[in-house]
Amino acid sequence: MKIKNISLGLALVASAYAMPSFAANTLENVKKSDVLSCGVSTGLAGFSQKDEKGQWSGLDVDVCRSVAAAVLGDASKVQFKPLTAKERFLALQSGEVDILSRNTTWTHTRDTSLGLNFAGVVYYDGAGFMVNKNLGVKSALELDGANACIQAGTSTELAISDFFRENKMNYKAITFDTSDQTRAGFESGRCDFLVSDQSQLYALRIGLQKPENSIVLPEVISKEPLGPVVRQNDDEWFNIVKWSLNASIEGEYQGVTSKNVDQLKAKGNPGQKRLLGSEGDLGQKLGLSDDWAYQIIKQVGNYAESFERNVGQESPLKIKRGLNAQWNKGGILYSPAMR
Amino acid sequence: MFSKKTIEQIKLETRPNSASLNSFYNNPKYRGWIYQALLAIFLIGFFYTIVSNTLANMEAQGIKSGFSFLSTSAGFDVLMTLITFETTDSYLRIFAIGILNTILVSLVGILFSTILGFIFGIAYFSPNYLIKKIATTYVEVFRNIPVILQVIFWYTIFNTLPIARESINVGDSVFLNVTGLYLPKLVGEAGSGFVYIAIFLSMISMFFVKHWARKRQEKSGQQFPVLWVCLAILVGLPTLTLLISGIPFHFDYPELKGFNFSGGITVIPEFMSLAVALSIYTGAFIAEAVRAGIQSVPQGQTEAARSLGLKESKIMSLIVVPQSMRVITPMLNSEYQSLVKNTTVATAIGYPELFTVFAGSALNQVGQAVEIMFMTLVIYFALNMTISFVMNRFNKRTELTTR
Amino acid sequence: MEVKKFSPLPDQPAPITTIGPIAWIKYNLFSSFFNIVVTLLISTGLFLVVPDALDWLFFSANWSGTTQDDCVKDGACWVFISAWSKQIFYGSYPLNELWRVNTSLLLLVVIIATSFILPARLRNKVSIPAYLLLPFICLMILEGSYIGLEPVSTDLWGGFTLNVLIAAASIIIAFPLGFLWALGRQSNMPFARSVSVTCIEFFRGTPILALFFMGSVMLPLFFPADMNVDKLLRVWIILVLFMAAYMAEVFRSGFQAIPSGQYEAADSLGLGYWQKTLLIIFPQVIKVSMPNILATFVMVFKNTVFLLVIAVPEMLQVVMSALSNSNWLGGHAIEGYLFVGFTFWISCFSMSLLATSIEKKLDTSHQN
Repeated sequence: MKIKNISLGLALVASAYAMPSFAANTLENVKKSDVLSCGVSTGLAGFSQKDEKGQWSGLDVDVCRSVAAAVLGDASKVQFKPLTAKERFLALQSGEVDILSRNTTWTHTRDTSLGLNFAGVVYYDGAGFMVNKNLGVKSALELDGANACIQAGTSTELAISDFFRENKMNYKAITFDTSDQTRAGFESGRCDFLVSDQSQLYALRIGLQKPENSIVLPEVISKEPLGPVVRQNDDEWFNIVKWSLNASIEGEYQGVTSKNVDQLKAKGNPGQKRLLGSEGDLGQKLGLSDDWAYQIIKQVGNYAESFERNVGQESPLKIKRGLNAQWNKGGILYSPAMR
Repeated sequence: MFSKKTIEQIKLETRPNSASLNSFYNNPKYRGWIYQALLAIFLIGFFYTIVSNTLANMEAQGIKSGFSFLSTSAGFDVLMTLITFETTDSYLRIFAIGILNTILVSLVGILFSTILGFIFGIAYFSPNYLIKKIATTYVEVFRNIPVILQVIFWYTIFNTLPIARESINVGDSVFLNVTGLYLPKLVGEAGSGFVYIAIFLSMISMFFVKHWARKRQEKSGQQFPVLWVCLAILVGLPTLTLLISGIPFHFDYPELKGFNFSGGITVIPEFMSLAVALSIYTGAFIAEAVRAGIQSVPQGQTEAARSLGLKESKIMSLIVVPQSMRVITPMLNSEYQSLVKNTTVATAIGYPELFTVFAGSALNQVGQAVEIMFMTLVIYFALNMTISFVMNRFNKRTELTTR
Repeated sequence: MEVKKFSPLPDQPAPITTIGPIAWIKYNLFSSFFNIVVTLLISTGLFLVVPDALDWLFFSANWSGTTQDDCVKDGACWVFISAWSKQIFYGSYPLNELWRVNTSLLLLVVIIATSFILPARLRNKVSIPAYLLLPFICLMILEGSYIGLEPVSTDLWGGFTLNVLIAAASIIIAFPLGFLWALGRQSNMPFARSVSVTCIEFFRGTPILALFFMGSVMLPLFFPADMNVDKLLRVWIILVLFMAAYMAEVFRSGFQAIPSGQYEAADSLGLGYWQKTLLIIFPQVIKVSMPNILATFVMVFKNTVFLLVIAVPEMLQVVMSALSNSNWLGGHAIEGYLFVGFTFWISCFSMSLLATSIEKKLDTSHQN
């Protein structure tokens, strides 16, 4: 019977077209294919979004670009793979992506039970509430019995359940698939308040017809540190991603920007020179060339530039630095020592 | 000693020998066995590879396996449940809730899509130009747009309803707003049991009346106004009991309390948009099936009925539609099945049916794709088999008995 | 006797109540009390809805511009569609390589057209191999690395053309597979039959959404750990199997429509099983099943929209991700959904018209 021969043929075609993935040595694999495969969100304002020309931008996207700049010397050598919340971990585990940078909350369970490592925090977030002004609600504790608009597949779903249980209140969760639908649901009055990560609340708020009619409540009910994820048991790659992120944070701390990077590389202070590779061999210790951090800051910019461009004052979202400011400026952003 | 043999003789002698080998291969029965053995070997190899790969991958990636997650606490809320649910309840309960919600929306969808389908399918033959055009437009528009878009469309429409405080109010008992449709709920008091018994009795007597009327018509040819008598029984008997027992019912009216209405029955807009979209989408296919079914009834049947002096409405209901059911029923079967499968588009609007709440939210928290997908697929498969079974039984009754 | 010559009155025109527009209106709109009521209700409804809808859609719509700020009027913001049109139709496929997508589409059209134009003698010999090779040729053109073009990885493919091409590629490969399953289903080998029935019933009985989901989440587990199968390819495999099950059922009803005399005649000519099936039965089955094949194609084409749940950038997914772009956060959902709906409606409706016309053509050939 040839019934199955066709499927066998298909499987053969599949194997011919398949790319081998070497889960154990991601660095070598990325260098060989000369492109970094990066799992991002399907569309999340300020974090990973495509424009009309198909160009990706966002804070999460910049993490991947930084790693590509550090490893391949070219921030544009990234293949972005949009993933849904359900697919993301499996895509990383199965080797489909080399790095997952998809506003993923660093939790104990995920870090320990999924065979993954979180390489740091890109954005310190927390779930918050947005309500309609004319409801007259001043605090989240007055929301007993209200309907909540929630985006599906986020850890917010669990956070809000805890919060209401703790305060002995009831709510009804209305979950939506995409942020646009969540916004539309809130706007129409389908729910009385909207719960989401604070970063997203601002994006959702400017999408409203009348943003001035709704307010963000002061309560932040959960810790949502968002960061890039890599596979476990590949420490070399884990280090590269971790220090690429730290390099852009340290870049801001040292005052290195994409504009003055060339100048500082030649005649900066010792700390700046060490970071940019004109002194010491930090790059080689990572298995990269010494100008790795120079490439990151030159091509992608330091953390502050990336932040302002994507979610801060230069973007429509206008999110304040808040927790995500440097540790010496009222935030908790702190890169370990670059030496 | 050699006896001289002609070539022909050699051929003749060797033929049976080679023929027996050939005939073994040429015998369809043996050849069939060989093919099937090859197929079996291939399948065993195929599944062995898949299973061993899966197990190896799961172990390497540290994915847990087994069904123990079912008894752990879910920790998230579900929008609509037909059985009671707390966020601390188990995933097994989530599974049950998902199944019940799927069944509910499927049943509602099947009911309304059938009604819509028959109305528009028959409307296609209406003498009124506008009705006919609308029937055609309905079928052609809704059949050719992906159902997921239609669900989103209806959800957007329901989202334009007024907010809770400005609800559309029908007699202070029915409210419609963006958070849903609120209906008064009938609550039975002591003595309500008699009324239920009366309803049950009236249904049984209806069955007998219908049976008797048919017997009488077959015997004497006299028609009996079955419909009116049945209606009278159905309304009369329970009403009488209701009055005698002193109306042991009251309505629980929905009331605006705090943010929302409480009390009564709540129909959430997610449910309404899914049910509306599925009914309209599937209804368009059923209308097309009904049209084809009616067209399949030979013109001679209608003419014969007319010459017998039947009224036009009677011709449709007594002659044409029953005969067309033979063509329509198998198509209904597959349309109902695809309706059940299409309930999965609820994931776009968040109605908590099986696929959204179990293969969605639960899978997202637990991460055990293999077990959860297996359970989900088994349920859809079982639902479709049930529909198929029921419809085949029904089809047996409508089939033409050929002698 | 005086003979009175019979002179008929001149022909009167038919009364206007039986012919002409007034009669048409009378019979088609106002023939009975019920019809009068219905006609009035429908016309009032149309009168209330249509002008506002037209105004929003066309007269006060925003047609020109490139950014969201250009949408100043109250009507629809079609600027959203025009700004994103390249994404909506081609996904992120490189701008100066678009000719490759267009070539693939053109190839598809050419092969379909030639299969209708070619004389019957050549049709099976030329068209069938052409169809079967088409998906692989398109794959090579689009991917590029095998024939020396610039490689374009599959994550850049997208938009409406992806919907069209993946649906076409699936039905073509599903064709032989479905035919084999249909043969298996009616063969007299019990094991082969039950395998076929299981395959068909499994893929028909499970929702395509769940199957896609399996393709994205579970299929990677089925392959060896060092093998990483492209997502689009996994989806393609799923679609092929799904389609094959439906095609098998289409072919089964096709087999039932072939008179048993055809089988007997083939047997009496001494044809073997495959000769009989491929030379005698297959061409007739294809002819009878053509409308159903097209209907199945329309179904699978509509189902490609479901790919959005696993983040494959097909048309609706592109629109949805465009809606969450921070420069377009104004809520253009209605425009986006309407446009996608309209595009699919046009495509599916024209295909169903084609199916109807083929059906009619087949009908007359039977009567003659």
